[in-house]
Amino acid sequence: MEPIKRASVLAILAALLLPGLANAQSDPGVRPGAINGQSGATATSPLPLASVAANNPSGSLEFFQNGLARFQDVESVSNSPTGNNGLGPRFNFNQCSGCHSQPTIGGTSPATNPESQVIANGIVSGSTNSIPSFITSTGPTREARFPFFFDANGNPNTNAPNGGVEDLFTVSGRSDAGSCSLPQPSFSTAQSTNNIIFRIPTPVFGAGLVENIDDSTLLANHSAQANNNLGISGTFNHNGNDGTISRFGWKAQNKSLLLFSGEAYNVEMGISNEIFGQDRPLPGEDQLGSGLPASCLNLSGTGYPEDTTNFSATGSSDQFAQNASINSDAVAFAEFMRMLAPPVPSTTTPGGSTSISNGRSLFSSIGCATCHTPTINSTQPSHITPSLGSTTVKAFSDLEIHHMGTGLADNVSQGGAGGDQFRTAPLWGLGQRIFFLHDGRTNNLLGAIEAHASSGSEATQVENNFDALSATQQQDLLNFLRSL
Amino acid sequence: MQISFARIFVLLGVSICLLARAEGAPQGGGDFSSNAEARKLPTGTILVKGAWSSASDSVTPVPEGGRVANNVYGNKYFGLTYPLSPDWIEKYSGPPPSDSGYYVLAQITPAGTFKGTSRGSILVAAQDLFFTLTPARNALELIHFSKDNLNADYSVEEPPTEVRIGGHSFVRFDYVSPVAQLHWSVLATEIRCHAIEFVVTSRDTKLAESLIQGMNRMSLPGDAGATLGSGGGDVPVCIKDYASGENVTERVDPIFTERRFNLVPVRIIIDKEGKVKHIHFLSAFPEQAKAVTDALFQWRFRPYVPDGHPVEVETGIMFGRAARRATPQSTSAATE
Repeated sequence: MEPIKRASVLAILAALLLPGLANAQSDPGVRPGAINGQSGATATSPLPLASVAANNPSGSLEFFQNGLARFQDVESVSNSPTGNNGLGPRFNFNQCSGCHSQPTIGGTSPATNPESQVIANGIVSGSTNSIPSFITSTGPTREARFPFFFDANGNPNTNAPNGGVEDLFTVSGRSDAGSCSLPQPSFSTAQSTNNIIFRIPTPVFGAGLVENIDDSTLLANHSAQANNNLGISGTFNHNGNDGTISRFGWKAQNKSLLLFSGEAYNVEMGISNEIFGQDRPLPGEDQLGSGLPASCLNLSGTGYPEDTTNFSATGSSDQFAQNASINSDAVAFAEFMRMLAPPVPSTTTPGGSTSISNGRSLFSSIGCATCHTPTINSTQPSHITPSLGSTTVKAFSDLEIHHMGTGLADNVSQGGAGGDQFRTAPLWGLGQRIFFLHDGRTNNLLGAIEAHASSGSEATQVENNFDALSATQQQDLLNFLRSL
Repeated sequence: MQISFARIFVLLGVSICLLARAEGAPQGGGDFSSNAEARKLPTGTILVKGAWSSASDSVTPVPEGGRVANNVYGNKYFGLTYPLSPDWIEKYSGPPPSDSGYYVLAQITPAGTFKGTSRGSILVAAQDLFFTLTPARNALELIHFSKDNLNADYSVEEPPTEVRIGGHSFVRFDYVSPVAQLHWSVLATEIRCHAIEFVVTSRDTKLAESLIQGMNRMSLPGDAGATLGSGGGDVPVCIKDYASGENVTERVDPIFTERRFNLVPVRIIIDKEGKVKHIHFLSAFPEQAKAVTDALFQWRFRPYVPDGHPVEVETGIMFGRAARRATPQSTSAATE
């Protein structure tokens, strides 16, 4: 009887446990250990590129540090003793680093969403603003967009595409905002009609390398990936001014880091600058022919643009620090982003080196690397700092836009990108991100991978290949992704 | 035995925990409870399309018009019917055609009722040989290009070889990812100056082989082949670059009013009198399609008269920017 009992037990075990083991793969979660995989980086001190850290060329380190400091500045409407005025009249947050902070400054959504605390922290008035329901303390930092304008009855008008950012908050009711009275957009109507989408901040580590890739390099990579037997065939977004390949933002709609910073300063924080020179009304306010009311213009009292080149240098006796102080904020932000070092992947965490190495091979074999190109060869020689020049870019992106299907479509068109086209998200630094996909809808890597498959998506076949892997192989791939 | 059962329960508990972790994917989202009277936008629908495919009429078949119905993939443009294996379905349709002429015609995967333990997929794709980025003039060359440019993650299992599928000439190429233990079998033939590719992917070679054998039930135009293939019957002959030189007797250039920077690949059918009968945009913004349509219907061509009798011709034209690169000068990408 004993052998029979043992066999029964084994049979029960197999029946009960094997299905469990087959689905045992899981997202290892945010990788612990060194921030960005870099020794010396802290939550408030991201590392610059190696040549910048070596202050080559002389003064570049001062410019990086100056940009980093300004990235953390808290902006006010009109009463900042440090001169950081110009916030609003509409904005999403009052500090770049508030949203770009995971795992360090320059990154993406932190674990605790500062947008959920703006009333508690006195950034906006609770009598004139409320926290939209899609902003939660443990959710991602978000901007909201309405894909379409509303008609007079409050219904989305599909003949009138919008897609512009609808800032979450207004300065109305703040003590430094005078008589400016603006309502928040009607987020509840937008939600009840499905006419709202979200975006989370893109991390900007290594962004200077991405900026310094010539179009010819990207086009050569594009051609090399053709005929891939995976159903993938992307294209590029282009800058409307010069027709070259644009590459920053969720839809690769921005050409350069300077444009990126100038737009963000204006759109996310409401601060006019030398690239976007006016305070920004909501998309609908210009459509209605009104723009912003006079009571909400020039709230800073400085005139326009609120952020300008500083003609009188300030700072210490250090000549380079003085030089850096001449920059406008927008330029300083761009310099900071340009000189930020890319994350360094771990070779051992999570799961150990064998698992990570295996996962890397699987990542390439099943087709992920067709779009998430591990390495682009290479940047152009740099006139800024040696680390930006003639080097590989291990961003895990082809910088193309791809159709991602009905599951991810946000129905927002930007440049040449349609409602379901997105730039291949660079994966460097993925291991220490909390939220995934353009809207931060998930904090689970498996969920993010599964979302790649839907009708109309170029990535469905690759997701099928992922599904065909064994649980162990899937775990290796997840470990690899979290090692980045 | 008490100890053994205790172990069973511990392991069972661990198993359940692992299952729970694998399925949990925290989601963010909005509150859709208020304003119930408002008209909602449909979810899961691409309303704002960028450059997309379109045609001058909705009757003439186009490559992307194929569908799975009653467990059969049918494509009128290619004259193709492909009965799927039982319990295999198209769960997700493919993306629109690309500006380099690449089509995902169908993506076939096991249904929930599939009894097998292995997974796999069949990708049915087409590459328009007028617009391909690869230096290939026919399906055979396209597959050889794949083999010659196979990246280091893969090993060749069987080099490109001509085989017969459903009585037609195909080229078959097999390769494997040793680390993923995934096998690819690519079977390609040519119809109307397109390489039609059936890509079978699975870890189970027996399953893959059974799927390939199932392709013998496929119906194709009579002269589909690895190096040349028309649509058969009354479909137009396809000729690369026919809309050039002295073949064009009257030409009106389209005027694009917006600077877009995208490629606009177009296939046209020229009737026996030399007029444009049908226009198919693989990828174009609506205003580009309108401008090209307005212009092309004014073009006149020298009729194509191969044997003393004029016939319809299908050819390709690239608008927008210049084509990225010239494909080899040859008449091979043609059925004549």
